[in-house]
Amino acid sequence: MWEETIAAVATPPGEGGIGVIRISGPQAQAIGKKILRHPSGKTITTWPERKVRLGVVLSSAQKVIDEVIFFFFRAPRSYTGEDVLEIQGHGGQKNLELILSSAMAAGARPAEPGEFTKQAFLNGRIDLAQAEAVIDLITAQTDLAHQAAQEQLSGRLSAYLRQSEERLLAVLAQIEAALDYPEDEIPELDREEAGRTIQEVTEELSVLAEQAEKGRILREAATVVLAGRPNVGKSSLLNRLLDEERAIVTPIPGTTRDFVAEVSNLRGLPVRLVDTAGLRETSDPLEQEGVRRAWGWVEKAELILIVLDAAAGLNTEDEQLIRQVKEKKRVFIVLNKSDLPPRLTAAGLAEKFSGLPVLTVSAVSGEGLEDLQEKIREELVGKEFGRGHPVMVTSLRHKDALERAIRYLQSVTAGLRDGLSEDLLTVDLRAALEALGEITGRTVSDEVIDLIFSQFCVGK
Amino acid sequence: MERQAKIYDVIVVGAGHAGCEAAYATAKMGFRTLLLTLNFSNIAFMPCNPSVGGPGKGHLVREVDALGGLIGRVTDLAHLQMRSLNTQKGPAVQALRAQVDKRRYQEIMLEILEREPLIYLRQGEIIDLQRAKGAAVSWRLRLSTGIIVEAPVVILAAGTFFRGTVHIGLTSFLSGPQGQHPSVSLPEKLATEGISFRRFKTGTPARLRRRSLNFDAMKEQPGEETPHGFSFWIPWKPRLQASCWLTYTNERTHEIIRKNLHLAPMYCGAIKGIGTRYCPAIEGKVVNFPNRQRHQVFIEPESAGTDEVYVSGLSSSLPEEIQEEFIRTVPGLERAEIVRPGYAIEYDVVAAEQLTPFLQLKDCPGLFCAGQINGTSGYEEAAAQGIIAGINAALYLKGESPFLPRRDEAYIGVLVDDLITKELDEPYRIMTSFAEFRLSLRQENADLRLAEYGYRYGLLSKDEYGRFLEKKERIQQIQTALEKTAFDPETEAGRKITGQAGVVLKQRISLAQLLQKPGVSFQMLQEAYDELPPVKDEGRVVENQIKYQGYLAREAKMAARLRKMEEKQIPPGFDYNTVPNLSTAAREKLARIAPLTIGQAARISGVGPADLSALLIWLEARIKR
Repeated sequence: MWEETIAAVATPPGEGGIGVIRISGPQAQAIGKKILRHPSGKTITTWPERKVRLGVVLSSAQKVIDEVIFFFFRAPRSYTGEDVLEIQGHGGQKNLELILSSAMAAGARPAEPGEFTKQAFLNGRIDLAQAEAVIDLITAQTDLAHQAAQEQLSGRLSAYLRQSEERLLAVLAQIEAALDYPEDEIPELDREEAGRTIQEVTEELSVLAEQAEKGRILREAATVVLAGRPNVGKSSLLNRLLDEERAIVTPIPGTTRDFVAEVSNLRGLPVRLVDTAGLRETSDPLEQEGVRRAWGWVEKAELILIVLDAAAGLNTEDEQLIRQVKEKKRVFIVLNKSDLPPRLTAAGLAEKFSGLPVLTVSAVSGEGLEDLQEKIREELVGKEFGRGHPVMVTSLRHKDALERAIRYLQSVTAGLRDGLSEDLLTVDLRAALEALGEITGRTVSDEVIDLIFSQFCVGK
Repeated sequence: MERQAKIYDVIVVGAGHAGCEAAYATAKMGFRTLLLTLNFSNIAFMPCNPSVGGPGKGHLVREVDALGGLIGRVTDLAHLQMRSLNTQKGPAVQALRAQVDKRRYQEIMLEILEREPLIYLRQGEIIDLQRAKGAAVSWRLRLSTGIIVEAPVVILAAGTFFRGTVHIGLTSFLSGPQGQHPSVSLPEKLATEGISFRRFKTGTPARLRRRSLNFDAMKEQPGEETPHGFSFWIPWKPRLQASCWLTYTNERTHEIIRKNLHLAPMYCGAIKGIGTRYCPAIEGKVVNFPNRQRHQVFIEPESAGTDEVYVSGLSSSLPEEIQEEFIRTVPGLERAEIVRPGYAIEYDVVAAEQLTPFLQLKDCPGLFCAGQINGTSGYEEAAAQGIIAGINAALYLKGESPFLPRRDEAYIGVLVDDLITKELDEPYRIMTSFAEFRLSLRQENADLRLAEYGYRYGLLSKDEYGRFLEKKERIQQIQTALEKTAFDPETEAGRKITGQAGVVLKQRISLAQLLQKPGVSFQMLQEAYDELPPVKDEGRVVENQIKYQGYLAREAKMAARLRKMEEKQIPPGFDYNTVPNLSTAAREKLARIAPLTIGQAARISGVGPADLSALLIWLEARIKR
C-alpha cells in the first residue's frame, strides 16, 4: 500500500532523436492520468496494455511540454514486473527532464541507480546473469557518479551548502538539546531568531536552485525563441545573431514554418535560437500546426525575443502577443529598425510595457547587436557568470533535493509562526537537512548529537 | 574427579537492573533460572544517581513495563518524588522522572524475585566458563567456592564489574562500583571463547551527609501536586513527595578544579577507557566550557532511611581532599561532609557488534549479554536489554522465533539496533533524538505498542491483559464518539469551547475535527459531552492520535519502507567476498558487523544504495537457485 512509484530517464544522456521516461510502480497509471492528454487535450480514460498511443505531456501548470508516444504495461507483464508507463519524448535532456519533473510533481520519486533492474530482478522478470550485467554497469556508473560527487564535495557546492547546513543544524541541536535535557540550562529557543535563520537559509537555497537552472543551461544550451508578426525581420535578426545565412528570408509573411538553429556560441554560452512560424491566429491548417508548435517552443524557452518592426507600428495582435507571452516567460522587446521612418520608439514601448526591456537593433546594419547579445547572456546566466560565481548545481537529483529542502523549510517557518511544538518542528527541519545530506553526503543524526555535546554543557 | 554440576535452564550472571529483568522474564516463561550475584546484599543496587526516567529513559521504563517487566512497578513503589518533564514541549518528548529510594528499590525488587518459584538466587563469583561436553551446547560455570553450575543458556549481565578499575586521584585499584568485588577471571575466560572487549569509563559524584548541608542557601525543588506513576499495571499510589535542592558551582569551584587537573586521572593519562559525553565529570565541564561561570548542582535524597545525599553534577575522580575542597565552595555545601568519595571506573564491555539483535553472542549459542556490559550507561537501558535478553533466552530454549521490537515500535528497538550496528565509541545513553519515529513512540502509548507481546510471551497475566483490552476498547469508543458526534457551536457548551480555544468555525465539523484545532483539548470536549467518558489516560492517547495524525501518517509511511527492508534477511555467516560489486569499505563493515537484514545493513555508515542493490540481487539469486 505504501509502495512507491519511481521514475527516471531510461535512455542514455545526450542528444538522441527520442528519449524514454520510464515510470514504474503502482501509481504509474495514476501519474499518467495526471500528466498525459490526448493531442486534442482530452483526458485519457482507457489504458490498454502495450498499445502505442499518441499524446501530449502537461507540466504541473497544465502547459503542454511535448508531444509524445506512450505505452502502458500492466503488472506483471513489464520490464520491472510492476505497472510501467513509458513515455517517448523528443530527445534532448531539457525536454526529458521537464517530462520527468512533471511525473515527479504528480507523485513519482526519482529512481536510484539500478532501481528498475532491481525491481525487474526481484519480480523475476530478468535472470541473474542479466541482473549482474546491469549491476556491473551501474556500479561503474556509480563509481563515476561517486567520483563526480567527490569532486563536488571537495568543491564549492559543498562548502556553500555546508554553511546552510550548519545554520540549520545549530537550530536543530538547540531544540534537541532542550528536549533531551530539560533540566540542564539550555537557552529557550528564540522563535523569531530561528525563523530569521530558516528564512535566510531558504533564500540561499532558492538562489542555488535557480543556479541549478543556469548550470543546466551551461551543460545543455539555453533556448531563445524569436517571436513576432511575420515579416518583421526575425529571420534576418537570427542570421545576424548566428552570423550565417541559415533562415530563409523572404518578404512573404508566414514563410518561416519553424527554424531551429544548431546550438551556437553566444558569448561563451551555448544557445539554441528558434525562429518560430509566428504566434498568431490563422485559419490555414498547415499554419495552425506551426502556431501550435511555436507555442510549444515558448513553453520550453528560457527567453523570448519579441521582434517588432519600428516602421510598422504596434497593432492589437502585437500587444496581445506581448501580454500573452510575458505571462509565461521572460521577454525582451527587440525593436528592429528598418530604413523606413519609425512609428515606434524604444521609450514609448518601455512606457507601454513597463518592466520589459526594450532593445533597439538594426538587423541590416548590425547596430545594437552586441548590446543585445550581452543582454541575452546576462538574462540567461547573470552578470556574474563566468566571473567566479560561487557554485553550480547541475544535476536534476540535486535540484530536486534542494527544492524538497526548501519546501520543508517553508513548513518549518510556518510552524514557528503558528506555535507548533518543538518536537514537531524537528520533523520538517530534519527532513530538510536530510534532503541537503543527499547532496553533501552528511548524516544529520550523528552531526546533531555531536553538536549538542560540543555546544551545550549537558548531562550530570 | 569431575564434580557433579547443578543443572538449570538459565543462569543469569549479575543481579543488577539487566540481570533482574532477564531472570524474571525467563522464570515467567517457565524456565528454572539461577540468578547469580557477587553480593546478595546488592541486588538491584543503584551505584550512581538515585533517579529513574527522563526523556528517552522514561520511555524505556514505560516500554519495559508494557512488556511486563519490573523497573516501572518497582520505581512506582519506591519513588521519593515524581516529575513530569517537558510538559510544554509536545507529546513526543514528555516524560516522567522519578527520584527513587535506593534501599526501598532493592528491597522491593528482592521481594518480587523471591516470590518467583523458578528463580534461584545465589551469591557467588564465577571463575571459569566452559562449553560442557555433550551433544547439545551447554555452559558449565565454576564458582570460586568450587560449586559447578550448568545451563544451556547463560545471560551475562555483569555491569561494570568486568576487570573494573576504580580511580580516585592518582590512586587506582581493581574494584567493582562502590567498593564491590570486581570480576576478573570471567572476562579472561570469555576472551578465550573469542569474545572481544572494549574499555569504557564512567564515574559518579561524592555522597554527602545531609545534616552537614545548609539548605537555606539552595533552591528547593519540590515534587508535583498530582504526580503520575510509570506502571500500566499496578494501582498508582503517590508517596510523600520529597524535595531535591538546586545550587550552583562558581569561579572558585572551577579554579580549584583547574589547578588540580594534573591530579585528575582523566587528564593525567591514568585513564585509558573512553568516557561518555552523556554524563561528564565536573572536570570535563570546566575544561570544555571555560566560559561557563556556573554549573548546576542538584542535591538528591538517596533514601528515606539514610542521611546520605547524592550531588548530581559534581561527578569527579579528583583526589578525595580536592573533591572536598571544591564541593565546599558551592553555596549550601560550605560545611559538607563526604560520606563516599566520587570516583571514575574503567571496565570491559563486550563489543556489541558481536551480538545478534536478540542479544545473543553470534559465535556462542546460548550465551546472551545484557546491560552495561554491552556498552550502555543507565539503569533504564540495562533493564530494557535485560528483558529482551530474558525473553530471547526463553524463546531460544523453546526453539521459537526471537523477538525484538522494531525501531518504529519501541525505543527498546532503537537502543538494541544502535548497539549492534553502530560500533560504539563511548557509553550509549538513549536520547529521544535517536528515534526517527519519535512521534509514534510516546510514553503514553507504550502499552498499545507492546502489551500484546508481553502477554504472548507470558510476562503479563490474563488479568492484566484483560484490563489492557478493556482500555483499548475504551480508546476505540472515544475515537468513534469523537468522529460521530457533530459539534454545535450554537449551544452554550459549544460557545464555551470556541471561546476558550479561540476558534472560529465556518462549517459544521465533528468533534474529532474540532480536536485537531490548536487550543482544543480532549478535556474541554469531555466536560461538555456526555458521550465522552471521563478517562484521562485514554483521552490523552486519542487526543495525540487525532492532533498529530498528519505527522503520524508520515512516520507510518517511513516505517513501511523500513519494514520492507527489514523483511529481506541476510543468512548468518554470509560471505560478502562472494558478492561482486560491493565497495571495499562496505564489504569490510558488512563482514565485521554481519547485519541480519538489508534494513540493518542500510543503517551501517559507509554502505550505500549501490552496495545494497548489489547485495539484494545476489541474495535473491541465491534463494532462487
